[in-house]
Amino acid sequence: MIELDQVTKIYKGEVLALYGVSCKISKGEFVFLVGPSGSGKSTFLKLLNRQETADQGAVWIAGKEVGALPRSSVPKLRRLVGCIFQDFKLLPNRTVYENVAFALEVTGRSRHQVRTQVPSLLELVGLSKKTHSFPHELSGGEQQRVSIARAFVNRPPILLADEPTGNLDGDTSNGIMRLLAEINKRGTTVVMATHDQHIVNAARRRVLRLDRGRLTGDEARGRYTAAGRYT
Amino acid sequence: MAVSLGYVFRETRGNLRWNVTLFAATIVAVWVSLTLFGSSLLIREGVEQATGRWQGGIEFIVFMNADAEEAQHAAVRSALEENPEIGGYDYVDQQGAFNEFITEFADRPELIENVTPEILPPSYRVKPTVGDADVIEALAAQFETRPGVRQVTLPVEVIRTLQQNSQKVSVFVLVIAIVVLLAALMLIANTIRTAIFARRQDIEVMKLVGASNWYVRLPFMVEGTVQGVIGGALAIPMLFLMNNLMAGFVQEDYLELLRSLVVDSAVVWNTSLLVTGIGAAVGVLGSLFAVGRFLDV
Repeated sequence: MIELDQVTKIYKGEVLALYGVSCKISKGEFVFLVGPSGSGKSTFLKLLNRQETADQGAVWIAGKEVGALPRSSVPKLRRLVGCIFQDFKLLPNRTVYENVAFALEVTGRSRHQVRTQVPSLLELVGLSKKTHSFPHELSGGEQQRVSIARAFVNRPPILLADEPTGNLDGDTSNGIMRLLAEINKRGTTVVMATHDQHIVNAARRRVLRLDRGRLTGDEARGRYTAAGRYT
Repeated sequence: MAVSLGYVFRETRGNLRWNVTLFAATIVAVWVSLTLFGSSLLIREGVEQATGRWQGGIEFIVFMNADAEEAQHAAVRSALEENPEIGGYDYVDQQGAFNEFITEFADRPELIENVTPEILPPSYRVKPTVGDADVIEALAAQFETRPGVRQVTLPVEVIRTLQQNSQKVSVFVLVIAIVVLLAALMLIANTIRTAIFARRQDIEVMKLVGASNWYVRLPFMVEGTVQGVIGGALAIPMLFLMNNLMAGFVQEDYLELLRSLVVDSAVVWNTSLLVTGIGAAVGVLGSLFAVGRFLDV
């Protein structure tokens, strides 16, 4: 499903973000990407949805080399790869419903499809009663749920989550993790960058560890400590 | 993939609702800029019209000998009537010339005492259809050599000066119009860019959820067009108002010169359509370029 082959990314020719990273992630996996700030987690994810391109090596998604895609094909790729961000990135002037509906509309779905799919997604993330609320009227956890609904509404085969619990308290984070696990159970591959050891250790999923741009560990059902020790 | 009209309409409506202040600011920028530009065009039109009228009023005079025979007069008259470059003429006979002389030298009775109608030359005051100095000079030359003609006088210097000056004024006003238009384009583009800069994060999110560039661009372009057309349309009454104010001045006889600067309402309409068209074009292109800067996500 996802493959990185000797990927190197250097920003502005100076800042080494990733160096010689190779790995494979299969369909339906749930993978944690761990490491301290600046270890290359975000760059790893940005290469997967073509926010960035690799300077060396290749990134493959569903058999296609992401870096070689023409610009016109990038929107298509992004519909295969849903994204969740630490700062949610919701459109502030739109309601919960409109934020989720937008992701469907850009794929050219009919209004009828939008009307039937958005409410079922909002129900899945537990926000049926907040349909007409605006983002600023929601708690952080609720905003992240909207963001998840938006990322998942197209039923993408891959979901990328960049520190999705970074701004949330423990209980709320657990709720978000349950939601991501549920989405993963439905067949979507989830790649989540985090440095929250509690979440990683509670989930016992595959862990890819990055350190200063290098892949220093890859273990199924791995554990992680924020101090950097990986068992 | 086709972008649905419903989507574009809803997005544009949303953009307008969420950004009322910047939307209004862009309209005002377009309105003021295009009013200035349109006014410059109208003034230029007025100047050309005015010089056209002054040039049209120029005539040359064919003086006949006092004793010219009737046949010679008839030959000159038929030549005047047949020439397509001559719009008409007035014949001033000897008595008429004498009357003019009396009027002209009313304060010098000693001159009038020594003049009788018989010694004054009759003349044809000829009105050419063109105002060009070279053409009028060539026309006048045709009559100079005819039998019975004493002299042809024409105000070539006056014509040449008028032509040169009107050309200078016309070019000057055109330059001002172009400078105003450039300033207007920059002001409008800048306002649109500010409006879109305020929404660069929205654009980033749209791109990240898989919107194609056209999905993001189109609502902004429609918005830019609406702003451009409204701003241009608002300039129309201003242009009419300006022309009417000028007409008001003329009626009250403030300035005789302004009479010719008042242009026909058809000209104002044409200028208005041009200005509105420019408004729409600037709106579309301004948005297109402004959005383009933020599409690279």
